[in-house]
Amino acid sequence: MQRSSWLGLAFLSPALIVVLLFFLMPVILTGIFAFTNMSTATGVKGGSYVLNASSLRALTDAGLPDVTRSQIESAGYRVDERGLAALAEAHGQAVAEEFSKNHAGEVFTKRRDVERALKDLSSNPIRKTRDRKAAADLFKRSILNQRYETLDAFEAALNEAGIPKPDRPLITEIAYTGWTWTTANFDLLLSLDSTWQYAKNTGIYVTFTLAFNVVFGLFLAITTFYLPAAQATAFRAIWFLPRILPPVLYIVMWRWFTWDTGFISTVLSGFGVSSKNWMLDTEYHAWVTVILINGFVGASMGMIVFSSAIRAIPASMLYASEVDGASRWQQVWYIILPQLRWPILFITSYQTMSLLTSFEYIYLSTDGGPGGSTEVWALAAFHTALNNYGGNLQYGLGATYALLLVVIGVLASLFYLRLFNFKNLLTKPRIEG
Amino acid sequence: MKHNFRNWPVLLVLFIFSLPLLIMLTFLVVDTFTTKVPGTLVPNAFTLHHFRFLWTDLDDGRWGIYGVTLNTFIFAASTAAVVTAISVMAGYALSRLSFPARGFFLGSLIVLHAFPTVTLIIAIFLILQILGLYNTLIGVIIVKTALELPFGIWVMKGFYDTVPWEIEMAGVQDGASRFTVWWKLILPQVQPGLMAILIFSFLSGWSEFVLPMVLNPGTDAQVLSTYLATLLLDTNTNSDFNLISAVGLFYALPVVIIYLIFQNKLMNIYGGGTKG
Repeated sequence: MQRSSWLGLAFLSPALIVVLLFFLMPVILTGIFAFTNMSTATGVKGGSYVLNASSLRALTDAGLPDVTRSQIESAGYRVDERGLAALAEAHGQAVAEEFSKNHAGEVFTKRRDVERALKDLSSNPIRKTRDRKAAADLFKRSILNQRYETLDAFEAALNEAGIPKPDRPLITEIAYTGWTWTTANFDLLLSLDSTWQYAKNTGIYVTFTLAFNVVFGLFLAITTFYLPAAQATAFRAIWFLPRILPPVLYIVMWRWFTWDTGFISTVLSGFGVSSKNWMLDTEYHAWVTVILINGFVGASMGMIVFSSAIRAIPASMLYASEVDGASRWQQVWYIILPQLRWPILFITSYQTMSLLTSFEYIYLSTDGGPGGSTEVWALAAFHTALNNYGGNLQYGLGATYALLLVVIGVLASLFYLRLFNFKNLLTKPRIEG
Repeated sequence: MKHNFRNWPVLLVLFIFSLPLLIMLTFLVVDTFTTKVPGTLVPNAFTLHHFRFLWTDLDDGRWGIYGVTLNTFIFAASTAAVVTAISVMAGYALSRLSFPARGFFLGSLIVLHAFPTVTLIIAIFLILQILGLYNTLIGVIIVKTALELPFGIWVMKGFYDTVPWEIEMAGVQDGASRFTVWWKLILPQVQPGLMAILIFSFLSGWSEFVLPMVLNPGTDAQVLSTYLATLLLDTNTNSDFNLISAVGLFYALPVVIIYLIFQNKLMNIYGGGTKG
């Protein structure tokens, strides 16, 4: 390779590393996470093996034989290091040593047998029956409520407890606390009614907001183009603000405007209308607000792009049309709009993508309410995986929701690549030739 | 072009449509400096009470505003610095240097540039958990940088594309290395682009809300956007709109000032670079 090849790769490498880690990896991982049942309960990193009362119930429901179940519950008494240490603490080193010499490693199935073995020790050191019972219990070994960090440890424990081999896979599966691979997310997604509701909401949201963005953006661009310079600048400045103000502040303003103590309520109370929350009162209120909030921002962007496109139209064309007696309306319709075909296409596709995937403004304003009527797909993914009142965040299911958006995003971006005149970008560097 | 049209109907329609925004902006400023009788809209006295967060802690013992502001500044400034540094290098490589698979990298850049990044937030959240960077400022900075990069590289490449090849040829002819040519001759040419990206990514970092909310929800390294959002969404305080507006005004002030100062440079981002 030439020297400049190395320079090129060196210049590119920081960007490559960051992009690989936080762009490519998330794309792939969204696909992977969608096939897991990861949640707050399972954790992210992996899990351990625990059998408790609720897993026993689950096992019974799954058809575990009662014999095996009782085996799990009482796995017997085992003379091991731990029990001996406890015995030494309770009744002295000598007792423990003698018991260890006689019975180390033995397994008793009944407590009575352990008690007898304790009684048989020379000089019968534990006199009271109650104490002997307690001492015997020190050796009780159940796999219930024990945490096993590895699969091997858990299987060894099952083996010791004498659990029949055919039942073990089921027990292992239910005892595992970490996440597992599954396709259940997709089945769940297809079976839930709310999925279709989210899809419908997204359709409403994108269609209406997009229409508002494009039409109103065009209106702003064309009217400010014809206005005298000072007036045009003033209106452009006002309409530029939604774009540059931080989203949270923008929503603060809208909340103030529509809240039950806010502007609309206060003004209307002067006309005898009782004050109410104009953002969340009914789903129609919520939809109108959500569409206007996003529409204003989108129109702001549309105005910027369309305005610069209109300014690029040769003035001579406009003068010529006026000389020919075209009205202002004809000028807009026959000269300006045809020239704006590409900017309109650009804004439409760009806004469709960003409306499909963004949830920031809805989250801050209605948060999907009232009653889930403005819950769009992207917001549902966010709520499922990252933010809900129940507190059990279902990363896997959320990733399944997000996966659809990621797939749409990848396809749209590839389409974007085709739309571009890629050959133009590929002009060869001239120095290396 | 003033003859086939009357201005005032258009002006009126525009004005009516702009009214909500005008009202919101006016009252945002008026409300924060005045008191009103509840249920009316006309202020009756001047007050600085709504700005009390500047000199006292809020009732619920929230973090002092200056710590949060400092966090926001660190977040925005480091994002801007790293994005600019990486874009300036990568943009040059893509625009001017020849290396294997250059076409592939260019194509990927366009794809990344168009990709809606919010969709990745769940996976990124899990990645940060695994890496142990969850709930840290540094984690959010890295992620924001990564997501901002394709845009930065794209703009930088555009600026480099407008620099005449002759400048570079002359440098190489005189015996300078490609690196020296870039550093001494080309960089000064694309300075407007560099400034534009610096400012643009600073503003974008300052305004960013979703990433800090999801990836850094704790109060240790809170930024202004999440601070304001908790005030807004917190049911105890969300009736005190004057306080919220005052915090909001404080938060947005740098954005407006920076925008007013650098208006022309920011517009350059759509235009292109040098006049040479």
